[in-house]
Amino acid sequence: MTEPEPTTTKMGRPVFEVEGASVTYDMDRGVSRVLDDATIDIFEEEILGVVGESGSGKSMFASSLLNAVPPPGTLDGEIRYHRDGEVIDLLGLSPEQLRRVRWEDVAMVFQGAQSSFNPTISIRRHFEETLEAHEYDIENGLEHARQLLADLYLDPERVLGSYPHELSGGMQQRALIALSLVLEPDVLVMDEPTAALDLLMQRSILSLLENVKEKYELTVVFITHDLPLVAGLADRLAVMYSFKFVEIGRAEDVFSNPKHPYTRALLNAIPNLDTPRSRMHPIEGSAPDPVNVPTGCSYHPRCPLADEQCEAAEPPLAETTDKHHAACYYWEEAMEEIELSIESDEPAVDDTVVGRQSDEPVVSVDAVDVHFEQGGGGLFGFFSDPDTVHAVDDANLEIYENDVVALVGESGCGKTTLGKAIIAAQRPTNGTVRYRGQDIWGTRDGRVDGEIPWEQIRRSLQMIHQDPGSSLNSHRKIKSSLEDPLRRWHPNMDPGDREERILGMLEYTGMSPPTDYALRYPHQLSGGEKQRVALIRALLMNPDVILADEAVSALDVSLRLEMMDLMLELQDAFDTSYVFISHNLSNARYFAGNADGRIGVMYLGELVELGPVDEVIDEPLHPYTKVLKWATDDMELSDRIEDPPIRGIDIPDPVNPPAGCRFHTRCPEARTVCREESPSLDEAVSAHPTACFREYPMEHPYWDSEPVDDAEETVTGDPIDAG
Amino acid sequence: MVNYYLARTAQALFTVFAVMTLAFGLIRLMPGGPMDFVRAQLQQEAGAVDQAQINAMVEVYTNVHPEQPLLDQYVDYMSGIMRGDLGVSMWYDRPVSEILAMALPWTVFVMTISLAFTFGIGISLGAAMAYAEGSRFDSISTLVSIFLNSIPYYVAAIVMVYFLGYESGMFPIGGRISSDVTPGLNIPFIASAFYHAALPIASFVITAFGIQALAMRGNSIRVLGEDYLRVAQLRGLPPHDIALRYIGRNAILPMYTGFMISIGFMFGGSVILEEIFAYPGVGFYMFRGIEARDYPLMMGAFILITVAVVIGVYVADLTYGKLDPRASTKGGDREAF
Repeated sequence: MTEPEPTTTKMGRPVFEVEGASVTYDMDRGVSRVLDDATIDIFEEEILGVVGESGSGKSMFASSLLNAVPPPGTLDGEIRYHRDGEVIDLLGLSPEQLRRVRWEDVAMVFQGAQSSFNPTISIRRHFEETLEAHEYDIENGLEHARQLLADLYLDPERVLGSYPHELSGGMQQRALIALSLVLEPDVLVMDEPTAALDLLMQRSILSLLENVKEKYELTVVFITHDLPLVAGLADRLAVMYSFKFVEIGRAEDVFSNPKHPYTRALLNAIPNLDTPRSRMHPIEGSAPDPVNVPTGCSYHPRCPLADEQCEAAEPPLAETTDKHHAACYYWEEAMEEIELSIESDEPAVDDTVVGRQSDEPVVSVDAVDVHFEQGGGGLFGFFSDPDTVHAVDDANLEIYENDVVALVGESGCGKTTLGKAIIAAQRPTNGTVRYRGQDIWGTRDGRVDGEIPWEQIRRSLQMIHQDPGSSLNSHRKIKSSLEDPLRRWHPNMDPGDREERILGMLEYTGMSPPTDYALRYPHQLSGGEKQRVALIRALLMNPDVILADEAVSALDVSLRLEMMDLMLELQDAFDTSYVFISHNLSNARYFAGNADGRIGVMYLGELVELGPVDEVIDEPLHPYTKVLKWATDDMELSDRIEDPPIRGIDIPDPVNPPAGCRFHTRCPEARTVCREESPSLDEAVSAHPTACFREYPMEHPYWDSEPVDDAEETVTGDPIDAG
Repeated sequence: MVNYYLARTAQALFTVFAVMTLAFGLIRLMPGGPMDFVRAQLQQEAGAVDQAQINAMVEVYTNVHPEQPLLDQYVDYMSGIMRGDLGVSMWYDRPVSEILAMALPWTVFVMTISLAFTFGIGISLGAAMAYAEGSRFDSISTLVSIFLNSIPYYVAAIVMVYFLGYESGMFPIGGRISSDVTPGLNIPFIASAFYHAALPIASFVITAFGIQALAMRGNSIRVLGEDYLRVAQLRGLPPHDIALRYIGRNAILPMYTGFMISIGFMFGGSVILEEIFAYPGVGFYMFRGIEARDYPLMMGAFILITVAVVIGVYVADLTYGKLDPRASTKGGDREAF
């Protein structure tokens, strides 16, 4: 599967020649140029990774390759497609010819698989109507489809017979890839195909994609905001900034030896598992507006090397060294002056962060279960037997003052539910949650007569949500949104003091001038600014614990570090603890590590490993944590993407979790005893609590037990038989 | 899934049962209710008849036996309804069930045609408006739809019966068929039935299609922005298929609920409408029952209308899963946890 030197052999004949392609929209404010003079060749059977942040024009480039720019945009320039020696001018085709080229020669996979399928017709029908529309033989076509689905580790009959909503997100995305390949195209354009998925699923799909690409001799254009994700997969990388290509070159060159200042800054801004945390830096400033692109080099306002020349004239995309192009006058200086965090000569040791955690826990969670009932309900609910979802089972956790606990896991593992239980936003089914030793729900119900009133507990536990856009009322000014909590909890506060406090917080978080920001509406703020407002709103309560539920996931890559830095800075100022929920191990490492916090790994409702950041990241003990680490570990370019160290791609149904250790259906180390017995966190003799028999004392029956054989395994709720 | 059907059936049966109990309660418990009224009427008419006879007649008329304990009366009344015995109409002096059985098909006939036209016109117009979004056709149609929708159907009915019936004589002003046709499957009979039903249907349709057109327009525009439409176009599906299977189907689905509500609305509306057009359907008889204090007839019609609405919504509910596969899986998005 792996080829020793893939790039040199493949720089063969071009399959696409794009010259000066531009996409423009006429808007009231002026002409919006969302793809600016893109020129690039795409070669046969290569994987071209196109990387850019949101609003960099990368999706427009993808649409241009199918001449399918959403109206009313206009596409100019020249795009030539080579089919068996024949050259096709993509912009000069008749509608019928264009219809033929699309999907038969060039197919596309979109980001949201869920919204790419018609919800009211079955997956099989999607395949059939595509084959019918292109007058392919239905029987042969469906046979090919079955083969493709099987290649993507899906059960063909089950998937074909399903409706889109009956499949999980990862399965939908793979079914969509199969649908795009059913007419055997030469080129597959993928626009953020994995952005909506968990890291583990992203990785698994990428490794499948590589196999499929080899098998069907495809050329793949892979568009993503995630540079490390695609670096191991792609043969060549093209980086976009402000609707232009700023750097194009072989993947290893661009990744390990980037020449454009933006690429270098972007690499330093992306959290990862290996680089010392102190060497990651956010990019200052923000990306330009498509109507008002700066003159000269569009990156000059953010570039540390910019001078008059950069402001006056735009640098061309020129070849620097062997087949490595960069649009910068000072690429040689950039390579010297902007140091890459991964290749620094300084010893890779972080300053030891000493936490300021207290001895007494603020919140302690004791044997908490949270179960949800599905179905049933209503007047006649008793006729149906409701399914119980075990969102959280038997969780024990203590949060101290000035603490940071990062909960990580795949979607559906119960991390959000546990987080909500910690801040008393979700009533547990069993178990108790205590605030400074006092039973929270007992206080709420009046059963416990404690010293701390319920209102104070409620105020002390706050939350910020994933999507900053929807957690602020769009019809109210920032000031009114921020005034509410103060008015509610400090009714006697002078309006002048209130305003002063709000303005002070805005200023403190870098939103200046604060009087201007206070009078804006949420839509006039950027995503990062909205998230800061949400953070201020939570902090105005002077809370003891803030639940940050995927608080940085919706932000652009270059802004994530900045936001996390701000949160940590505010922790120092306000003595707050954070429960940080993330599906991304690198973010969790950066955030929790900088406060000497802990990482808790969750799988199917259970905490499986809990320990200090560096221990969990550097020496993960639970097999599941190792899998997560595999999915995140990406700064190694030398080895190509290998098969996942896991036996099933899809997560089992939480309604019917596997008996015994819940991870045994996917665990590479599972033995027969794991099917019957369930390990617990506190019996392990390892450095930190780990719910795995491998960390139990040596006399445990695990070591005498037989390894689980895939052939006889009946996997519950998991249709995938991973080979 | 089986559980869902069971639960839904039980719910429908419970609703019918609750309505019947309510009807019984009204008859039996309301002061100055039907029993006193019937007794007073009989005493006025035939002063010579003794009390026992009057009581017997009251029982026959209202299907309630006043001397029995409450529970027995209730069981008698309910079992009477189960046998189709809704009492005897005082005004018509015929069993209520017989009167309603004669009237029901005509009401259903008018309603079905009205619903078909309302949704047919609404959906086609709405789709056309969405296709031409922002055009002059779109804005004029929107205006007309809102205007027509804001006219109450009974006002439209009175205006039509006055101008098209009394003034111009183009349409009949009452009745279900002409007296000179023979009932059966012959063309003059059917033509006459449609001719007589034309005005009631028209007054329903003209005042109701507008809201459906606007709903369809909104739904279609929403679907037009969906990603799967773009994917379908890139996949090269013929425009005809996209319009029908992708836009049409997904836009019409949310209107199915509106369709269910319309069934109930039209049954209720038939009371006034059939009175205006003197069209002897269920609503017409119910109105007569109210007017003449003919309580058995009124109750019978009331129960019949309720049962019809319940059945209509029940059928619509059970078939919704066939139209929208998402509705047939309980729980849905499990990744929310």
